[in-house]
Amino acid sequence: MSVVDTSAPGTTTDADASLAVDDLHVAFGGNHVLRGVDLQFTPGFNGLIGPNGAGKTTVFNVISGYVRSSKGAIRLHGEDVLHMSRTQRVKEGIGRTFQAPRLILDATVMENTLLGRHHLFRWGHLAELLLWPPQRREETEARQVCMSMLDRFELADVAHEEAGALSLGSQKLVEVARALVADPTVVLLDEPAAGLGADDVTVLLRGLRELQAERDLCVIIIEHDLQLVTSLCPKISVLHFGEIISEGSPEHVTSDPAVIEAYLGHGFEAEEGGEIHEVEGPLSEHHHIDHVEEEGTLEEVWTEDDGPEKGESS
Amino acid sequence: MSDQTLPSLYAPKSSLRKVVPEWVTTFAVFVFLALLPWMPILGWTDIFDSGNNFGRGNLAFVFAFAVAAVGFNLLVGYSGTLGLAVAGLFAMGAYGTAVLSAPSEAREALAGYDWPFFVALPVVCIAAAIIGFIVGFPAARLKGFFLAIATLALGELIVTIIRLDEKVWDGLKTNGGTGKQVPQFRVPGLDRILSVYMLSLGALFITMIAYVVLTNRRLGRTLKAVRDIDIATGPLGISSTYYKLLAFGISAFAAALAGAMWAQNSSFANPSAFRTRMLVFLLVVLIVGGLSHKWGPLIGALFFVFLRQKLQDTQKLLFLILGITLMLAVLILPNGFAALPKRIRDSRWAKDLQRRLESLMDFSL
Repeated sequence: MSVVDTSAPGTTTDADASLAVDDLHVAFGGNHVLRGVDLQFTPGFNGLIGPNGAGKTTVFNVISGYVRSSKGAIRLHGEDVLHMSRTQRVKEGIGRTFQAPRLILDATVMENTLLGRHHLFRWGHLAELLLWPPQRREETEARQVCMSMLDRFELADVAHEEAGALSLGSQKLVEVARALVADPTVVLLDEPAAGLGADDVTVLLRGLRELQAERDLCVIIIEHDLQLVTSLCPKISVLHFGEIISEGSPEHVTSDPAVIEAYLGHGFEAEEGGEIHEVEGPLSEHHHIDHVEEEGTLEEVWTEDDGPEKGESS
Repeated sequence: MSDQTLPSLYAPKSSLRKVVPEWVTTFAVFVFLALLPWMPILGWTDIFDSGNNFGRGNLAFVFAFAVAAVGFNLLVGYSGTLGLAVAGLFAMGAYGTAVLSAPSEAREALAGYDWPFFVALPVVCIAAAIIGFIVGFPAARLKGFFLAIATLALGELIVTIIRLDEKVWDGLKTNGGTGKQVPQFRVPGLDRILSVYMLSLGALFITMIAYVVLTNRRLGRTLKAVRDIDIATGPLGISSTYYKLLAFGISAFAAALAGAMWAQNSSFANPSAFRTRMLVFLLVVLIVGGLSHKWGPLIGALFFVFLRQKLQDTQKLLFLILGITLMLAVLILPNGFAALPKRIRDSRWAKDLQRRLESLMDFSL
């Protein structure tokens, strides 16, 4: 089981971490997005928080192979992942979701979920064409796995409906289910609760907790809802301007003066996170402007079409 | 566990499909088409009158175009890759089978390598698939417009190679720009046109079965993922490049097969027939018929061959009308003729009618 020391930060070493990020640097042109990030993720729930444009999604993108690092190492169970291709990383057990759900809207929920098991199929498309019975069995088994996963997230009833007909919240749940049917050991969830209704969040958290306990998963969550992160994750890392400014138990992080300054520098974040706005801290105006600039560049560099999709089907 | 309460693993079938499964209707259509030459019920259409050679030949053209369109459908409709090399690969199928199966001791227009037709056909199709796969490599890095241009160039390149005559390379035997006579393959017991008819129908049958089987299973959903969520395929363990290449290869195979059938039917191949015009024809077939719909290619091909025969005397008018149809199809029926029944079913008018009928039934009971 998870052996996270919630009282003292930084006591886990690379050796017993599921995923270790070591002195990671990323630069887009002259824009230094990550400046020497060290992170150790152990089985259990790990929170990764920080103001907009802090580089959280970039960390995920480097881990899953979308962005090249200029310096540093990432090790999965002690094995270097940076030289692997994106698909190979999935086979090694790194799963992820995206901020905006990326589903085939005209395919059913079941088909979308089945995509997650793609790399576990042993038979090729020729066997498929020849209606080879073992291939059919394999497909049925995959569907069983997917159906029970969808059931965990209360999506079994809509399994054969088109994904485009679902609400944004349900679509995000489908994406989480799709990442989990791939049998990963490390799951990266990029704002899984953003845009979800209260009921959906309950379903999501229950499903994640059950699965984590059953499979001893290492779940890494980027989330803006601080209440959710602090209640779920025994260990939280705070990223700000590409650096880890605080790490440790929720109590430790939320009372850290550096974190309070980073968050209060960014107006609306303080209202969202239930804990922080009670604590008074110095306001720094210039940070606010920097964030906006940095955010713009990041979005452009990272993906071509992330932003506008987000509110589409809500 | 709670498995009993879970819904079925495969999508539930509609009440109609429970009685008449999909494969039954598909087979029925092909059995009907195979018997069509002996039951001339389409006589009134004149162009598709299966009682005479003219109608049979036209129908064989329909099947050949449909074969190419089915492959094109997989490439464009499923993988979302707009590869336009299809006309060139079509030419490759036509010339490849013609040259390989022609007798070696013959005059220029009909000289070849003495291969049996049924050896030459798969060899040419597989060669086309390999070319599609290899050329796809650089092309798969491109997107949209740029991909279209690059693949269009490939198609033109193949036609240009065909145009080369013996002075450039002796072994080519394509007879340059003058054209090549195509040796005919005869199905035992049938005359020339009927052989072509059955051959083309068989090719369409095989392509169609492969299309239905593949798109309803893992390949279909994986290609859709490449089309819609390309950026997210990495974390799903799907290599989007590999799947684009696979789609390229399969569509190239179908295009070459269609080309071979087309050549058998027209019995004479001329390189100028495979210029961009052929590509426009195939695009019309695909778009008017319906993208990513099973019957789309066949319906589109029927429509196209009908129009072409009707307007045979006025070639200029043909293009005008094709252009207008293409625009109208995109505007009014963006999913093609094949999607028309579904559109009518989903329309307010049909829903209203259904409601009225139901209320009528309630009353009578």
